[in-house]
Amino acid sequence: MVTLTQREIRQRAPLWLIGLLVLNVGLMAFSAHQDGDINRPRVLQVWVQALFSPAQGAVSGVGGSLGGGLRHLGKLNHAATENETLKRRLAEMETELRAAHTARDENERLKNLLGLQEKNDYKNVPARVIARDPSEWFNTVLLNRGSSSGVQLNMPVVTPDGIVGRVIGVSPWTAQVLLLTDERAAAGAVVGQLGASNALGAVRGLGRNGLLEMRYVSGLEPVKLGDYVLTTGQDGIYPQGLNVGEVVEFREGSATQPHEIKVKPSARLNALEEVAVLLYHPPPRTPPTETLPNLDKGKK
Amino acid sequence: MKLKIAVCVALAVLLQTTLRHFLHGLVFVDLPLIVVTYFALRRDVVMALVVGCVAGLATDSFSGALLGANGFSKTLIAYLIAALVTRIMLDNPLARIPVIAGAAALDATVLFLLHQIMGQRPMPPFVETMAYKLIGTTVAGTFIFYLLDRFFSDRARTRRQFAFRRRAARRLMRR
Repeated sequence: MVTLTQREIRQRAPLWLIGLLVLNVGLMAFSAHQDGDINRPRVLQVWVQALFSPAQGAVSGVGGSLGGGLRHLGKLNHAATENETLKRRLAEMETELRAAHTARDENERLKNLLGLQEKNDYKNVPARVIARDPSEWFNTVLLNRGSSSGVQLNMPVVTPDGIVGRVIGVSPWTAQVLLLTDERAAAGAVVGQLGASNALGAVRGLGRNGLLEMRYVSGLEPVKLGDYVLTTGQDGIYPQGLNVGEVVEFREGSATQPHEIKVKPSARLNALEEVAVLLYHPPPRTPPTETLPNLDKGKK
Repeated sequence: MKLKIAVCVALAVLLQTTLRHFLHGLVFVDLPLIVVTYFALRRDVVMALVVGCVAGLATDSFSGALLGANGFSKTLIAYLIAALVTRIMLDNPLARIPVIAGAAALDATVLFLLHQIMGQRPMPPFVETMAYKLIGTTVAGTFIFYLLDRFFSDRARTRRQFAFRRRAARRLMRR
């Protein structure tokens, strides 16, 4: 076996440096090329994640219990005041609930009259967030469920409050999720109820203040602060009617200029603990060229 | 020794990805970078390069960043520090502080530039994030260097060797 002196090692160091830098540049180029296609899995990343996932799950579990205990202790001070407020709100809610029951019954009667079928809820896989992106530059989280639980690439991830993001990498035991607040994430959305509103657009992450930006909403559509934003189901990732958030900033557009809308996500994306992966497969789309009526004529 | 270093790197990456989950401010403390800087200061250039590359690639695996971006920046930083330490004496804990600060600033800058070059846009305001990262990493790094010294420094190794000899001697005396 050849033993190298310190001097020889130091002389060879630039070669090692160049070699390793070239390797990293190659990986970056490959990764940048891969990121352009949302249907390509991030192979190397997901396997490293899978390797670390047991340890991360353990650390996350221990940390979660400790953090939860400390948070509960801290919240005891506010509990009494909060209790009073909640009692008042409960009384208000009961009145609203009665009104909602009446509306639901009416809705069901009308649906029956129209012969509409109630849509099925999507099956979901509950998952726990075991790790977050190590850098501030990007917004991703790691879940403790993967392909062995039925999770697939591009499946939507939600909480009871609203949508969280989509799956961008899957190993058998973990899944990496791109949060909606990341600049590379987007979803088709509508301000108000789909069908009742024409304020259609797309929400995408801003990165600053955890807000989303809603683009392409016609300046002629009525939008106001506090309006809720729902998914349209037209982006091929998220099903229709999921809660995205509410309008918190709004600058009115005109006939030629779209509205400038900022949306606060309903899901608490900075404090995610439990989420659900919707086992949703968007309906297949026919390429537009195949539906052209005179396509056959052109071929002839 | 190599196993210890591997465990140290793995622990840094593991804590970096999980601790942020409980305390958001910890995102500005770059634990893998602190470990890379520490091993780069130990004058073994090749080991520093390998540690930098592995720690960077492991960090990239958990990040939405391009695979290789952290690997590139941390390898480069490891080399620069290892080259610097052969010319300047940096064994004093005070002298290490500017090295950690410089490494944090350079890491953020290289990462940002690499993503710009590759057509990706990292999100938050660059200067603000870099400033927070510089402060967080420098403060935490100073304490972590002290902890790492207890395990990896030559003095610690000698102390452990003597402790073993003392134990053996005591056993002999009891007999």
